[in-house]
Amino acid sequence: MSKTFQAIVVGAGPAGSSAALTVARAGLDVALVERGSFPGEKNMFGGVLHRLPSLEEIFPDFWDRAPLERHIMKKGVTFMTGDSSFNTIIEAGNFDKPPYNGYTIFRPRFDNWLAQEAVKAGATLITSATVDELVYKNGKLAGVTLVGRQGELLAPVVIAADGVLSFIAKKAGLRQPTFDPGQMAVGVKALIDMPREMIDDRFGLVREQGFANEFVGCTAGVRGGGFLYTNYDSLSIGLVFHLASLRTSGKTPYDLLNEFMEQPQVAKMVRGGRLQEYSAHVIPEGGYNMIPELTGDGILVTGDAAALCNATGVNLEGINLASHSGVLAGKAVIEAHKANDFSKRGLETFRKLMNDSFVIKDLKTCRKAPHMLHNDRIYNEYPELVCSLMESIYRIEGMPKENMTKLFLKVAKKKVGLANLAADAFSAWRSL
Amino acid sequence: MNIDEIFDHTSFTIDREPHIVLDNQVCVGCDNRGCTNSCPAHCYTWSEADQKMTFVYDGCLECGTCYVVCHRNAFTLWRYPRGGYGVAYRMT
Repeated sequence: MSKTFQAIVVGAGPAGSSAALTVARAGLDVALVERGSFPGEKNMFGGVLHRLPSLEEIFPDFWDRAPLERHIMKKGVTFMTGDSSFNTIIEAGNFDKPPYNGYTIFRPRFDNWLAQEAVKAGATLITSATVDELVYKNGKLAGVTLVGRQGELLAPVVIAADGVLSFIAKKAGLRQPTFDPGQMAVGVKALIDMPREMIDDRFGLVREQGFANEFVGCTAGVRGGGFLYTNYDSLSIGLVFHLASLRTSGKTPYDLLNEFMEQPQVAKMVRGGRLQEYSAHVIPEGGYNMIPELTGDGILVTGDAAALCNATGVNLEGINLASHSGVLAGKAVIEAHKANDFSKRGLETFRKLMNDSFVIKDLKTCRKAPHMLHNDRIYNEYPELVCSLMESIYRIEGMPKENMTKLFLKVAKKKVGLANLAADAFSAWRSL
Repeated sequence: MNIDEIFDHTSFTIDREPHIVLDNQVCVGCDNRGCTNSCPAHCYTWSEADQKMTFVYDGCLECGTCYVVCHRNAFTLWRYPRGGYGVAYRMT
């Protein structure tokens, strides 16, 4: 098979389908190539889908039509030790009203739906096709070759939306040839079946309300954290580890996940559930400093392939950045077709649109966060400090009470060290 | 969850052709072998007795961890499975 298109999008995830949708809506003939037997088959995330301003512009009724699970109205953070936990939870009235701040979703369902929207707009979806090589003709990028479904697709411009390892960006010389494990994380997730009523009762939810919780101190000292999200009738629970830290820890993701789910407070949340599916994926967590060249001759890089992920520890954003970058890449391709210039210079619109968007602006604002999160004390000592301080505050046993400041300093001295505390507070303040 | 029962939880369409090929001679001299503990699917096993790395790709979740943690570049091939093969998530 050899077919010619006006643009090729590699990968039908949120970035790729958003790009294909944008290009197809402008009347261009675009191929959307996916290695899964359907879009979403290879995709997992541990997360929440946030607002998608560019897709909302394309479909004003986006949130009514997309296949979603619960909207997040209750959001918590847990500082955890082996047997204790301290929780902060916000239930905001405004999080319970449209426009909702975020939803849980199933990727195989959501990604498939978004890709089908691109098809409706006129894109040609080619599934079961892994892109193998870039094709060059007369020194210019001219297309891609496929394995699985065999053949060759030709087009003057390629959008790389092939995910975190982006072999397309590598082959085009746009990303670093090897990755720094210090900039990468791996997420593992268990999908736990649970009756809807049980979830509602257990987490204090009604109607379509959902709960999203992050955990610190649950990774046995490995840099990382945990998450638990409610779907309609299942829980997504998992851990994320920084790879530089996991690699030298000697610990395994699945043992740590089991330990996490057996921690007494977490065990109560997952009790009665049944494991449905186990999944894992690498996450680009290097932030702004990790972003590769976004454009080259005949090529643009979007989504995870461009390391567009904002993991500050407070919010975890990826799909929204991916989708936005896909739409902007699509717009740049439309401009390039008008000018019939697919050189790096012709595609420069993408870089400009990106620099003006929340994607690059937010990553720039948070560019120091990845460094701050490399502080090992966050993952062990601080959760212990918080839990032990709260325990001391609430313990009443007929002894004279200590002054709160004194108590804090005593616990902090024991768990973290006062010099460390001061240094960490300063570094946290600087990076946020 | 028992990782050795991964096929009970997650679906795969296994290709006869491996998508990752390891030159396990390189692993003999590795000072780290972070793949053995970092791989979320337990695809890598180091035998101290035989001084040998065993790699099985059947239950590979295509997550990319080994590609990132291997600092010796022990792969003679690392690519995603041919279209239509490999891990198949249903509802994650």
